[in-house]
Amino acid sequence: MKFEDWPEEWQEWAKLTPLERFRESEKIFAQYLAMGGSLDPDPDPTSPFYDPSEWHAGTAHGRAGLRVLRRGAS
Amino acid sequence: MGGQACVFYGAAQVSKDIDFLILAEKENFDRLLASLDFLQARRIAIPPFDPEALAKGHAVHFRCQAPVVEGLRIDIMTKLRDLDDFETLWQRRTVFSDPSGTEFHLLAVPDLVSAKKTQRSKDWPVIEALVGIHFEENQSNPMPAWISFWLTEARSPELLLDLAARFPSEAAAMVSARPLLSLAITPDLPRLREALDAEVRAEQEKDRIYWEPLKREMEEFRRAERALL
Repeated sequence: MKFEDWPEEWQEWAKLTPLERFRESEKIFAQYLAMGGSLDPDPDPTSPFYDPSEWHAGTAHGRAGLRVLRRGAS
Repeated sequence: MGGQACVFYGAAQVSKDIDFLILAEKENFDRLLASLDFLQARRIAIPPFDPEALAKGHAVHFRCQAPVVEGLRIDIMTKLRDLDDFETLWQRRTVFSDPSGTEFHLLAVPDLVSAKKTQRSKDWPVIEALVGIHFEENQSNPMPAWISFWLTEARSPELLLDLAARFPSEAAAMVSARPLLSLAITPDLPRLREALDAEVRAEQEKDRIYWEPLKREMEEFRRAERALL
């Protein structure tokens, strides 16, 4: 896809300066943590570091404080 | 090293850990260990911290316990597949500075693109975005090195067609290095898409082959640690 064809939000992000992107990313990450987001890496079976025994599927994002209330059809 | 550099360069990526690529020297290891101690970082997986394991290409994983950084994961590496040594990467780095004078030292975009050529599916769209944004930001002043970078690394078929039309002599000169450029020159969009997919699969296979002995060794480390418990 060429830049002109990117979704508007992507174009707006790309038009920020590098430092603006960094600051915005910091804000988003702070919000993610405030909502209880986990610092554990997402399970990625395509990664050489992936160890299935380290991943616990019973929690929403690998963190005990989060529970899955509803799962979409898959 | 990777995730935050992607954010600076515009290929937004959620990065929940910090990867450090460090210079493998004793003095540096001592400073690193002192910093990890300050962050109350505990090793959380195999392999153990060992310069020899790092030199082979292993990464060592830590999790911080200190209050401000509690839970943060840190991965340490001294070597990346198919990338130059630390000193060379450092020479080529990009440095940004904010108004307070804080400096941010990042892998150069071409090195970051090389580092992202892994077997992980999620890295490939990031490469496409990195090259696309770099082209968007620099196309008005296309230096020869950048034209070569775009023709070598562009992953979007549409961008490749555009590049082949704008820089026909450069594209023709690079066909032997990247044969799929001939499909951008022709142009033949369906076959170009197939060739780009094949290029990804070949690179992922290279990465798998590189990691195969390291993964076997990781399994040995894992067994050895279990035996100690």
